[in-house]
Amino acid sequence: MYAKLIFRNAKRSAKDYLIYLVTMTICVMLFYSFLSISSRYYHPDIGAEYNFQILGKGMKLAISAVTLLLLFLICYVNRYMLVRRQKEFAMQAVMGMELRTIGWLFFAETFVMGLFSILAGIFLGVFGSQFITAMLLTSYGQTYRITWTLFPDTVFFTMVFFMMSFVLTGFFQFRAIEKTKVIDMLSADRRNEISLKKSIQMQIVVILFVMMAFWMLLTGIRKMYFYFDSRFALPVHFLFWGNILFPAGTLLWPVVWIGRKRFARKRRGRNGDRRADGNDFPALVSGLLVCALLNAFMAIYTTVMQNRYYLVLGNGALDQLILFVLADLLFSISAVIWLANYFLTAWKEKSPEHRYHNQNLFLWGQITTKLSTTNKTMTLICITLVLAVFLFMAVPVLVGWALGFLEVRAKYDVQIYSDYRLVYEEEELPDDDYAFIADFLTEHGIETEYDCAFQLYLPKREDFHRRVKWDFPEAAISLSDYNSIRKMLGYEAISLGENEFTTQWQTIAGEEERDDFLRTHTVLATDVGELKLSDRYYTDAVGETLYNSYTDVVLVLPDSVCEQLLPVMTNRYITTKGTIAYEEALALEALFDSIYPEEETTEGTVYSIRLSTLQRNETKASMFVLQAVMLYGGVVLMVICLTILSLQQLLDAGHYRYRFRVLRRLGVEEKDIGSLMLKQLGIWFGLPVVVALSAAAVLVSCFIQMVSAQITAYIGFGTLLAQIAMTGSILLALLGCYFISTWILFRQSVGQGTV
Amino acid sequence: MEKERNTVLRLEHIQKYYGNEGNITKAVNDIDFSVREGEFLGIMGASGSGKTTLLNCISTIDTVSAGHIYLEDTDITEMKPKELARFRRENLGFIFQDFNLLDTLTISENIAFALAINKTPAEMVEPRVLEMAERLNITDILDKYPYQVSGGQKQRCACARALIHGPKLLLADEPTGALDSHSSQMLLSTMQSIHEQFGATIIMVTHDAFAASYAERILFLRDGEIFTELYRGKDVRGAFFEKILNVLTITGGGQSHVC
Repeated sequence: MYAKLIFRNAKRSAKDYLIYLVTMTICVMLFYSFLSISSRYYHPDIGAEYNFQILGKGMKLAISAVTLLLLFLICYVNRYMLVRRQKEFAMQAVMGMELRTIGWLFFAETFVMGLFSILAGIFLGVFGSQFITAMLLTSYGQTYRITWTLFPDTVFFTMVFFMMSFVLTGFFQFRAIEKTKVIDMLSADRRNEISLKKSIQMQIVVILFVMMAFWMLLTGIRKMYFYFDSRFALPVHFLFWGNILFPAGTLLWPVVWIGRKRFARKRRGRNGDRRADGNDFPALVSGLLVCALLNAFMAIYTTVMQNRYYLVLGNGALDQLILFVLADLLFSISAVIWLANYFLTAWKEKSPEHRYHNQNLFLWGQITTKLSTTNKTMTLICITLVLAVFLFMAVPVLVGWALGFLEVRAKYDVQIYSDYRLVYEEEELPDDDYAFIADFLTEHGIETEYDCAFQLYLPKREDFHRRVKWDFPEAAISLSDYNSIRKMLGYEAISLGENEFTTQWQTIAGEEERDDFLRTHTVLATDVGELKLSDRYYTDAVGETLYNSYTDVVLVLPDSVCEQLLPVMTNRYITTKGTIAYEEALALEALFDSIYPEEETTEGTVYSIRLSTLQRNETKASMFVLQAVMLYGGVVLMVICLTILSLQQLLDAGHYRYRFRVLRRLGVEEKDIGSLMLKQLGIWFGLPVVVALSAAAVLVSCFIQMVSAQITAYIGFGTLLAQIAMTGSILLALLGCYFISTWILFRQSVGQGTV
Repeated sequence: MEKERNTVLRLEHIQKYYGNEGNITKAVNDIDFSVREGEFLGIMGASGSGKTTLLNCISTIDTVSAGHIYLEDTDITEMKPKELARFRRENLGFIFQDFNLLDTLTISENIAFALAINKTPAEMVEPRVLEMAERLNITDILDKYPYQVSGGQKQRCACARALIHGPKLLLADEPTGALDSHSSQMLLSTMQSIHEQFGATIIMVTHDAFAASYAERILFLRDGEIFTELYRGKDVRGAFFEKILNVLTITGGGQSHVC
């Protein structure tokens, strides 16, 4: 009998909570899709130069960590189902069923639904993993082939993970049912939605924000005291003063507010008016919201100016600024959501023509009531959405950056280079051509295409002792070595006029930095005389080990000059005809480490080797894990937010059914009721999405500003914008799907044409 | 049948069946009556006598199986579903047992809503709400929400909402059903004054003899048919109440309500 009840209830609940089932299935599908590539049975053909093992381990841990978020969703939806079914439970209890039995039945019912989601999710996950495989193969430069992905270990892990989640949440539901009084269950749907108790949540947020503003003010004053110089450009003056004045304004506003309130109270007291103070807390929040936006602007402005003027603002200044932007954004989101209700009410009060226009009164009531009771949820949804959008938007930046950077630094199959920063005597400078590398390659039958061993010099011998980071000397290379490198990379050889030198720039170097250098270095003093700057400079990517530490430029000097300069670094670049297999690369690296052990030396030359096989492997694997986790995390967060938004509306269908029935009885036409539903859902979904998108836009633009040099160097703004636009449209499509399905289910739940 | 000059509502051979072939329940069986303009009509009967079904048919919330209902000259049984909402909005006012107030709106907004959906110019809404609230003595609670006021006040708010747009017919379904005796008496006095001051035409369904005694004429239903009809005429309310009780004794219903 109980089994029959469980299955019948599950069948009916499936209809009621279609959106929950679909969401759970999507979650299982995503989990399975991403996890399947970490299975030990998964062996995609990604080429001999790549090792897949380093990817699998990271994936498994990261995906499981993100999926823990799903537990929250499962708990949330189960709690709602419990609330919705309370009256039914009460009836069963009245009929004599024990609460313990009711709890078990409910648990079994949700478990049956959960099992169905798991099976459906795994089935769909097999297809979903094809997309992940395609993504993986593309990032490893292979063409996509269908890969069988129904693996016993992934199926087992998925089932265990989700079943444990269901059991865990089910246990809490069971306890909740056991502890609830029958009378409370019976009157569950009669409770008023409007809460008269004022929430102190916003007061706490305000206090925290004011404390944060105090910290910002102290930081601003500290920066001014330690780092300000009156010779700075005007925008930098604005930066320093802004970082003091804006937080000071933020602190001043609450003082003004309290003063105004006291003054108003006194005046009322004098006039004998003993009415309540009136709630002008929104004025305080509105003012602070403006301050938060100004502060966020200031923090972003500071990061931009810091990059532009190479300002030194102390250790961890950037981290602190990011923290301030986040604090400002979090406060702004909380404030906007909290104020939305007041603004709507104020608009309603001030505009009778809108208030009494058709069914607007009803719509306003619906929105303000819901907002006032779900303020905290709405704020959390907004913040989560910002995080999801940021994850989506940051993926192309980070991946593009890493892959672009990989292309710049992995220019040669083998790069060996030395570093003289820990060498204090000229006699200790390196003098090795790393011949054992060539021997190794020959032994392993790896044919060499180009091989170039060369030295880097200091134009002036005395520069050897220049060790201050921001005043590190630029290294120089001889023209013939430079041309050999250019030949290796397929660039044309260059020539120099008599007594001329030229410059080769890092991809990351900014235009301003370059122009500044060229303007101030028209003549180069060397140990063998002066050289004048050539008209041309070069920005071709030649790898980052060609440059001296802390510099973005290498000077190209005539061979005859270089012969008489002090060589400080010895490098060797090799390109091979075929790719070096992963195992061989590991062996070569081990050989190098045995000859030049990586000890924590405090003195002497440091030698390093870079093998493109290993560089590519590590970068691509870590980038793929990062990309997959960020996308997975973003989708999970987005699905959680949209499901909660959707369920909040659908699970209140009881209230809404009654309200819309009243409208029908009063003679509101079906067409108008349809439009009201659409508007209500539009605002409900639109408000958090618009707020979250605005906040995410600020965050993303701040992030892009911070890494703008890397974006220009490795990705290009056009490509990045195209990628962001594509990601954005996918997100909007997801939002659209949720909105439409909620709308359809909402119409069904509220009941069409029922008077 | 010649139409009386001041007839507002006319029902001709109204029938309402439920169920399918072989198992038909006649909820309303061939009912004819008419209501004059400004009349306060009560409909009484035991549970299952068909009084609420009849009211639902008049209010266009339910459809008839046979027969015609005319409001003035309009046959509302022939109206298309799309026209019905507009008809209800413009011509009828409702008072329900469970108030049917919108819990998200204040009392004043609930009343104003009836004007707003009838496209009343915005500047006229508030003065009319205030005027109606004064008449029904609910000005003190205009800014409160329904959950903050008593049942009697809610029902007076429902009355104000039903009346504010000047409907041709006010339909009340067990308006005192959810009220205590004091609130019931207050509400009924209000309805009487509405009837007298506004000249409103009211049809009230009730099985409470005391409530029915406020009406001018009472139709007694039994098994879906009009069993008898009672006019108050010149009687005072007490005497009319006695007459109602007598009829109820004969019909077998209502004893429990008067004991």
